[in-house]
Amino acid sequence: MRHHKFLKLLRRELPVWVERGWVTPGGDSAILEHVAAQGSGVRFLAYAFSMLGVLLLGSGIITYFAANWALMPKIIKLVILFGGMWAAYGAAAYLLQRGDSPQLGQAILLLGVILFGANIMLIAQIYHIDSHYPDGVLSWSAGALLAAYLLRSQPAMIAALGLGVLWTGMETLGFDRVHWPFLILWLACLPMIYRMQWRASAHVALLALLVWSVFVFWPIEWLLPDVWLLYVMQWYMLAYGALFLLGLALDTYARVAFVGMTVQRYAAFAGLMSFYALTFPDFQTHTRDAGDPLTAGPEWFVAVAASLAWVVVLVAAGAWHRQRARTGKSPAYLAWGQALLGLIVVLLMVNLFLASEQGGLMAGLFNLLFFGGTVWLIYAGSRLGDRFLVNIGFVFFALGLLTRYFDTFWTLLNRSYFFMLGGLLLLVGGFFVERQRRRLTAGMAPPPGTQGVE
Amino acid sequence: MTVTARLAVVVVLQTLALFTMIAMKQWTLNTGTLVVLETQPIDPRSLFRGDYVRLNYRISELKPQELAGDNEFRRHDPLYLVLEPDDPYWRPVSVHRRKPTLAGDQVAIRGEVQYVNHRGRFDGATNEIEPIQVMQVRYGIESYFVPEGEGRVLERPQPGEVVSLRIAVDKAGNAGIKAVLVNGEARYTERLF
Repeated sequence: MRHHKFLKLLRRELPVWVERGWVTPGGDSAILEHVAAQGSGVRFLAYAFSMLGVLLLGSGIITYFAANWALMPKIIKLVILFGGMWAAYGAAAYLLQRGDSPQLGQAILLLGVILFGANIMLIAQIYHIDSHYPDGVLSWSAGALLAAYLLRSQPAMIAALGLGVLWTGMETLGFDRVHWPFLILWLACLPMIYRMQWRASAHVALLALLVWSVFVFWPIEWLLPDVWLLYVMQWYMLAYGALFLLGLALDTYARVAFVGMTVQRYAAFAGLMSFYALTFPDFQTHTRDAGDPLTAGPEWFVAVAASLAWVVVLVAAGAWHRQRARTGKSPAYLAWGQALLGLIVVLLMVNLFLASEQGGLMAGLFNLLFFGGTVWLIYAGSRLGDRFLVNIGFVFFALGLLTRYFDTFWTLLNRSYFFMLGGLLLLVGGFFVERQRRRLTAGMAPPPGTQGVE
Repeated sequence: MTVTARLAVVVVLQTLALFTMIAMKQWTLNTGTLVVLETQPIDPRSLFRGDYVRLNYRISELKPQELAGDNEFRRHDPLYLVLEPDDPYWRPVSVHRRKPTLAGDQVAIRGEVQYVNHRGRFDGATNEIEPIQVMQVRYGIESYFVPEGEGRVLERPQPGEVVSLRIAVDKAGNAGIKAVLVNGEARYTERLF
């Protein structure tokens, strides 16, 4: 509910509550003052301006000193670097202790975190420290995390996660390896996000996990034979499926329900992306051309074992949700979902035993289940009242349809017919899909968590 | 704990982290053995970037087959290169995966393999092409920040000028630039302040 509507409702209802003795006289005006002071629009604007101001100030300070650096003796440089950071933290302490400008206090605290990072880079420059360069970003992220924990600062937590992604990106792309230590940093962020119920941080944490999972794919693509790409993409799909079920299970716990829908959304998007990759006939055929998996030796057994392990994780997440949601008759969308998931798992496991000649057939089956999956997502989203799930269901349905149209007709039709038919398909299909989407989402409330920033 | 006390903890720990960076580098510079290393002919396109000099040493490119110690290295492997004094530059003797035992005046500098190339070398005695491994190694002494504009002096030395580096190598193999030498004379010297 929008803030001003909520306030209007309170103004109307509070006199009645006082009259009935539910609220003590005088308490009504205190409630109204408290709610009015938390006006989401004003809060958001103050927050946004403070943060933008901090970012501008931080970059201005860094570029000013970078431009005049050569003229200063080392000791002056150090005094400026440490003095600037201490001054920012001092101002943040003053504002946060006073308590009347918490947003500004948090913004100045973020400035301190930014200056800590700038100091790492500039001290490395002053003393010619040229070590393993991602370590500087890791130290910066750790410093931000420390501030997030001790000062209960959501901006610092978001900075720690963002810097963590930068760190893992440098380690993966610069050194061609799967970067597991990122997970330690990521897990270290979770207890505070859970404790403070930070929605924005939860979004960034999930996004960071997904970006990391994409980074993991990079070294695998470089270092392993092509046939592994197919297996690894299947693991991704199983992992994202398990994450989606975990999101459904989290929804059943009051304490973590704030993050349940977010987990479902990111997992649904990532799961559909990997499913979409598996629908390409070329992907199913060419990756296996590198070698017949059935004669590939011990590596293939590793692929089967890892796939089975992911199936176990998926089933465990499903069982957890089923056990938590057993409050009567299971809704039809869940029964359909379980059946569809079962079929997908069977297909993924069968796919491990086939050679490239069956690639086309498997791509066809994957397409059938992909479209089935998008339809189910639309159905589930409409039952859960989640517009996001409905929308991405439609988007991936349309994307799949267009991709198969290009695959199928590009070589069969004269180019002019291809484009004319494609244009008509887009016009008619777009109209139909948009009408269905609007009809389904019309009755749904706007997604929670979109009415302001904490 | 009050907000101020918690913020003080943040400030103290972050400041300690920054001081540690400086202290570790100074420890290497103050306690390390001083060695003089020859720089490679300079490529003007890659040497000077912004206001720092990119340094390339003779020991940045190694052929393990021509040195004692271990032979096979892969990308991103750590290594220890043993150097011994010579005139005017220290020269590489052996290369190892683990820190070796040193003799006499030797020092071991720690590096990381950046990439490995496999080339062929014609052996006149056997009339065969012998495979050799050529690796590019990084020691953490490849960047040197100089006052703006002064990098040109190092980038394009005048005829007859030779640029070399005085490096401190500590017991753990960490290295730090102690001085930039032009014709054996210190042009830039590192100090704490």
